[in-house]
Amino acid sequence: MVQLTRRKFLIATGCVAGGATVLYTLATRAAASAPTIIYPNEESGAAWIQIRPDGSCHMYFPRQDMGQNANTGLAQIVAEELNINVTDIQGVRPNTSDVPPLAVTAASMSLTAFSRPIALAAATLRESMRDRAAVKLSEPLPSLLDDLGGFRTADGREVGYAELVDETSAVIEFDDNKPAPALYTFDPSREKKQVGHSVNPLDIEALVTGGPVYAADVQIEGTLYGRVVQPPVRNAHIASVETKDINEVQGLVKLVHEGDFVGVVCKSPSAVEAAMAKIRVSWDLEQPINQQEIDKLVDVDAEMFEGDLEHVLQDEAHRKSVDWDIDLRFDVQVQTHAQQEPRAAIARFNDSNAEHALEVWTGTQDPWAIKRSAAMDTGLSQDDIIVYPQRIGGGFGGREYYEVERDAVRLARAVQRPVKVQWTREDEFTASRCRPASTHRLRIAVDGEGNLSDWWYGYVSGHVALARERMASWLLPVVRLGTDMGVVKGAIAPYSAPHQRVECKDVDLPIDLGVWRSLNGAPAVFAIESAMDELAVQRGEDSLEYRLAQMKGAHPRLRECFERVAVMSSNKPLPGGANYGRGFAGGIFDGRCYVAISADVHVDVDTQKIRVLHMCCAQDVGLAINPGQLRAQIESNLVWSIGMALLERFEVADNNIQSSNFDNYLIPRMQDMPSFDIEIIDQPGIPPAGAGEVALVAGPPAIANAIRNASGFRAVKLPIAFSDITSGFKA
Amino acid sequence: MQYAPSRIVWPLTLQGLAAMKLKVNGVERQIASDWRSENLLTVLREHLGLVGTRFSCGIGQCGACVVHVNGVATNSCLVSVAAAVDTDVLTIEGLTTEDGTLHPLQQAWIDESVPQCGYCQSGQIMQALALLKENQEPSDDDISLAMNGNLCRCGTYDRIRKSIKKAALVMKGAD
Repeated sequence: MVQLTRRKFLIATGCVAGGATVLYTLATRAAASAPTIIYPNEESGAAWIQIRPDGSCHMYFPRQDMGQNANTGLAQIVAEELNINVTDIQGVRPNTSDVPPLAVTAASMSLTAFSRPIALAAATLRESMRDRAAVKLSEPLPSLLDDLGGFRTADGREVGYAELVDETSAVIEFDDNKPAPALYTFDPSREKKQVGHSVNPLDIEALVTGGPVYAADVQIEGTLYGRVVQPPVRNAHIASVETKDINEVQGLVKLVHEGDFVGVVCKSPSAVEAAMAKIRVSWDLEQPINQQEIDKLVDVDAEMFEGDLEHVLQDEAHRKSVDWDIDLRFDVQVQTHAQQEPRAAIARFNDSNAEHALEVWTGTQDPWAIKRSAAMDTGLSQDDIIVYPQRIGGGFGGREYYEVERDAVRLARAVQRPVKVQWTREDEFTASRCRPASTHRLRIAVDGEGNLSDWWYGYVSGHVALARERMASWLLPVVRLGTDMGVVKGAIAPYSAPHQRVECKDVDLPIDLGVWRSLNGAPAVFAIESAMDELAVQRGEDSLEYRLAQMKGAHPRLRECFERVAVMSSNKPLPGGANYGRGFAGGIFDGRCYVAISADVHVDVDTQKIRVLHMCCAQDVGLAINPGQLRAQIESNLVWSIGMALLERFEVADNNIQSSNFDNYLIPRMQDMPSFDIEIIDQPGIPPAGAGEVALVAGPPAIANAIRNASGFRAVKLPIAFSDITSGFKA
Repeated sequence: MQYAPSRIVWPLTLQGLAAMKLKVNGVERQIASDWRSENLLTVLREHLGLVGTRFSCGIGQCGACVVHVNGVATNSCLVSVAAAVDTDVLTIEGLTTEDGTLHPLQQAWIDESVPQCGYCQSGQIMQALALLKENQEPSDDDISLAMNGNLCRCGTYDRIRKSIKKAALVMKGAD
């Protein structure tokens, strides 16, 4: 949790047209190629929340919109503090020149990191308005009571914000000599009018009427169309390029070939299609791309046979030679984001009279990283570049890098005209930075009373946060001596044993890797919760009660999630008949988010299908700012759980990416949907925990455990196919 | 393949005709000669500026680009504009009345707070409209069947289902 100190609230001033503005503050920029990782603190400033001369409230939305609707929650906080309606807030998505660099929108940190600074900023603005109101009405400060959009006195006189600001611009500075303003948002005893209520995304009407909100929707006069050949992996180099007959393509403006970059600019999309069809590229690879190679690289048993794994995450009185009650290996497949919007960008170079030499329109989780990367790529100074972030049609961790933007920038530079690049669905799959494959070995032993005595968990995963290109290649081996925060996510179980060891190794894979929803959280918790379930089943214990007992009094918030899910699931009995089953799983994401899930499945012998029928989820969200949107995020994670457990597998073979579209990479559809029962556990005294990727850790093991319950089959590989089960069927 | 060839066989000679027009959302639109070899989706978005219909898979597997062609829900990425000549095309932009009143489906989408990233929702709404034109009281199974071609990676299916039922009630009441 980031907290502002009272020491100094403001240094820099934003550009303020009039009215009163309050700022909250941000640190200096991050290093060049790393993602922007700046969360609010008191080092620098930006114009954030403003009351304009007409009394309206203007707010820069600090997060990139990609479906999580964090800005709506932050606007609710501003509205709560200012005593206005959230729908009256005019939210503006800032470009990279409007404000100093903001942290990459990722890691479910938006509300966790931004809620308190924004509340403090808005409350400071409110109290400054109260000061003005007191002067205006010649009343002592305490007699100015909160009112909708302003203040009132006990005798009924009212003064609105519009009467308290004029055309003179003023920036409100936090005053050390005054008490910190009361933060209504975080006052558990307060009956809140904005926070804690379900609010639609503030721009929802544009989303149901087909408004121009995504990068590809931007219309720039004189735009040409371009596309680039995507390599199967980014460390590949072009061995040969053939472009026979490309000049015969009508509408071709230019073939651009610079090193490993080959693309075309054309007058129309169909000409792009025709020109791209004329290009044949063969690639030199550093590693062969096929499943056997990946399997070999992440083979946990081979690595553990060799000795200790590279990173030891937990080590307490570890014993190697024990009679293990559970000794299971779990293999988790490669998955990709497959967001609905294939990325697009438009780049335009301007003449020297323009304010910016290069303008880029794109949907990205990290606009400031795009600006830095474009500066490095073009040799322009960062001041010469502006990025206009657009709404993102699904992020899930996959939209942080300078990729389609690079394509557009280089092509636009080559033709000195604005160029729009729309990635195809094939481009999306080919250039995907996947969630890596991983394998997990989990060994558990119990004592005479059935309590855990030994816990030994080792796993090998591809890199996540320390994937190639995250930093300079010379730096990478050094940085990789440390732990990869993506790879270690989820590895520490909530259960305790007197002897325990958790160790892991992260490796390079022959495909591009990166951040995917929940990082290693979902693979690790799948292994942990499957193993615990198997132990309970083999001992004839109730799976839920056994888990709670083995938490040994720790993690009360997780315990409550389990207990709520037990009640919720009992409200809906399993259908009678063979091969129906129920499974449970729970987990902690990032040490701050707690979730438990039950899944009911039917292993249908007639149709040869595994069907998830019903899922219950209890999630402790900390302070619930916007319950409706929290619920939406949970629904989304439950749907993704079905994809991870039963459907999605990223295929590679023959030195290439084979997954290319939704006909061969299956994601959940309407017919795969179960019913949901979701309960949000609100903790008004605890900061918002974030919800974007939490339930995904517990959904896949809940489904796997339900299959175990239905069929006797213990799934040790994801995704689970019906054919995997056949051998394990109950007699 | 982004711009897959049309499934509809169309005599190429017609592409040479001087005037190429289609009716979009009730308004007759001329297709300039530069745009006549594009698919319908590209023409709607890049030529006519109707960007509410989204591109996503390019092969008719996801439904993001669904429009109605002569009343039939159609993946506009699969239809060449030449094949759509002289048809009536209805896009998401055509659902809202001139005074800004939302279609009952759009209103239900807001009431149920369906969109997350929002990218698929134009196609979802157009597909749902096609369903409700044929079936005023769709069951859960009817909805699953009709909407199964429309992907939503954010997983808003549960809310889409509820919205369709809600809109069906409103539309039935309006008849």
